[in-house]
Amino acid sequence: MSLKRHEFYQEYEVFSKRTHTATMQYQFSLLAPNEELALVLAQENFMRREPVVDIWIVKRSNIRKMSPDERASLSRLQNKDYRNTKGYGYLKKKWRHYEQEMLDEKEILSWGGKIKT
Amino acid sequence: MTDQTKEASNQALIELLYQLADDDFILAYRGSEWLGLAPHIEEDVAYSSINQDTMGHATMYYHLLEELGEGQMDDLAHAREASKRKNAIILERVNGPGHYLKEPRYDWALAVVRHYYYSQAKKIKIDSLKSSSYKPLADVAVKVSMELYYHLMHWNVWFKQLIEAGGEATERMEAAIEVVRADFGDVLSLGPLGEDMTKLGLIEKEEHLKKRFQEKMTPVFESLGLLYNSELGQRSGKGRQGEHTEDLQDALKTLSEVYDSNPVAVW
Amino acid sequence: MVNETMLTEEKYEQFLARIEAGEKIEADDWMPDEYRKVLIKLISMHGISEIMGALPEKEWVPKAPSLKRKLGIMAKVQDEMGHGQLLLRVTEDLIKPLGRTREDLMNDLFTGDLKFHNVFHMEAPTWGDAGLIGWLVDGAAIITQTNMLSASYGPYARALKRICAEEVFHAQHGEAIIMALAEGTDEQQTMIQDAIDRWWESLLMFFGPGDAKATGSSKQDITAKYGIRSKSNEELRQDFFTKYVPRILSLGLTIPDPTMHYDQGKEEWIYQQPDWSKFKEIVQNRGPKSKDRLRLRELSYENNAWVREALSPKSEVV
Repeated sequence: MSLKRHEFYQEYEVFSKRTHTATMQYQFSLLAPNEELALVLAQENFMRREPVVDIWIVKRSNIRKMSPDERASLSRLQNKDYRNTKGYGYLKKKWRHYEQEMLDEKEILSWGGKIKT
Repeated sequence: MTDQTKEASNQALIELLYQLADDDFILAYRGSEWLGLAPHIEEDVAYSSINQDTMGHATMYYHLLEELGEGQMDDLAHAREASKRKNAIILERVNGPGHYLKEPRYDWALAVVRHYYYSQAKKIKIDSLKSSSYKPLADVAVKVSMELYYHLMHWNVWFKQLIEAGGEATERMEAAIEVVRADFGDVLSLGPLGEDMTKLGLIEKEEHLKKRFQEKMTPVFESLGLLYNSELGQRSGKGRQGEHTEDLQDALKTLSEVYDSNPVAVW
Repeated sequence: MVNETMLTEEKYEQFLARIEAGEKIEADDWMPDEYRKVLIKLISMHGISEIMGALPEKEWVPKAPSLKRKLGIMAKVQDEMGHGQLLLRVTEDLIKPLGRTREDLMNDLFTGDLKFHNVFHMEAPTWGDAGLIGWLVDGAAIITQTNMLSASYGPYARALKRICAEEVFHAQHGEAIIMALAEGTDEQQTMIQDAIDRWWESLLMFFGPGDAKATGSSKQDITAKYGIRSKSNEELRQDFFTKYVPRILSLGLTIPDPTMHYDQGKEEWIYQQPDWSKFKEIVQNRGPKSKDRLRLRELSYENNAWVREALSPKSEVV
């Protein structure tokens, strides 16, 4: 028995989706001997009181995590206005000059409308 | 409908509701004794949810009985003596040697097999009850059905994995299967008023339910390399007729201990 | 050699600076041994106390007096197990680099190396105790746990956030039982008063000694230094009095301490100190129910060993 000492306790990470339109979110980790059991244990351990429409189980050893040093590579300067609308705010004034409305994010994202069924 | 037939139909309905309520109630009670004692902490949490669901289902049936004038649902759950209970005997049996507070040597194989068999049988009954002629019962069946998916999935994983594990686990599981099988006829029995229930369209014939159960279980056993024994017995007696064991007596004494100290008090 | 020492010192300074800046430490970050040690001690004890804490209430799960109460207390005890799961996972990640697992934690519990909270060594002989545990023991736990919500160790802080959200339900579950008893028959009122009398000293002890002198050791200073908790044992106990003493009295119940009162001048509650030597005895597994509850846990572990054995993935032969 001592040979298989720790093998029952495999680490699984649990992810879940709250609604059909939501993205997957990390919940917590649990121990289980295999992924089938991990899956049937996940919902009741971490989502007893909240809606959930999908669950993912990932064996922890299959996740390529960042080391603490690698996490340092994530910081960057906040000088990249050209990547978002903030860097183009002056256009509003320009368009006003041509008596046109600026097509901002709110306007553009409202164009989709509903698919007729 | 004459008064007489009306009364007979009412009796059959009430009988069926007691069977459904008492089955879920006593099994959830047995499950609640396991709390804190399961083989794995994560499983303890998951198993408790199933017991809560199951007791919730019992509550819905007791509520229907309350509406039919049978009395308050807490009294129905706590105050009826053993001979009035209509649950199947296999569901009242203790979890194993010992007491839930003293030297409990509960048998996880029995828990898994009993719950797996029961979830399968319950699913078959619930599917039939969804088109019950008694609308309030059909509505409850639709609700119960939603939670049964998880119960079945959960016990199915445990059932298959422990049988497939080989060695001691397989032996224990096979022994538990024999214990459950010997008394499982009780669960699929509709009791002395079964024919009335079917005639009234409350639920399908007992034979149909049994046949469907066999159709469900046979391939499961085959996939595990086991032969399915379809002989479901009633070795310990007929729970639907109020026949019960000491186990139920003891359980009732425990589960109504506080309630009995003052049945009319608000708790 | 010199370089290595320098390096560790430098790391240590950086580590403290991160905590100072309000950053969270993660499981795989470098941390001083003292920090890891104090976290393991704190969180493993917290976790195992949740698991052991399920047992006194569990006594009342099958006996709860109505369907609603049966469901409520099942859900509550389930949460305790769930909290144990969260906290054990946090501990397990901390002990992993030391080559230890959940199995070792369980063994530590059985040998007495891993202690659990004093309150869970006590008897819970009536339904009133079930209510009181939910109301006041959980109330006390909420006070100590919310005090660590902003702990510097990220995984602990995140587990506590989940736990505290559920504790709100526990407190109300306990209040509902107590309220029904307090507004009930004379017997029911006596039931709850007896429970308070029985539990009062244990509740005071729950927060730990006011200073190291009482029991000879205290990790209060270390936990404060590393930003794990902010308030001292005594401050937490005082918070508990402020929140709960008026509520207890408002229900017509009494506190079994005639000296208990709020001193306006000192701005603190005056109370009779519990017998701290008794506290030491209790947490050494020499409380009235220590042995029984450990036995239950041990039995569930041994009795189900075949299940873990059966499902352990077979080692791959290379």
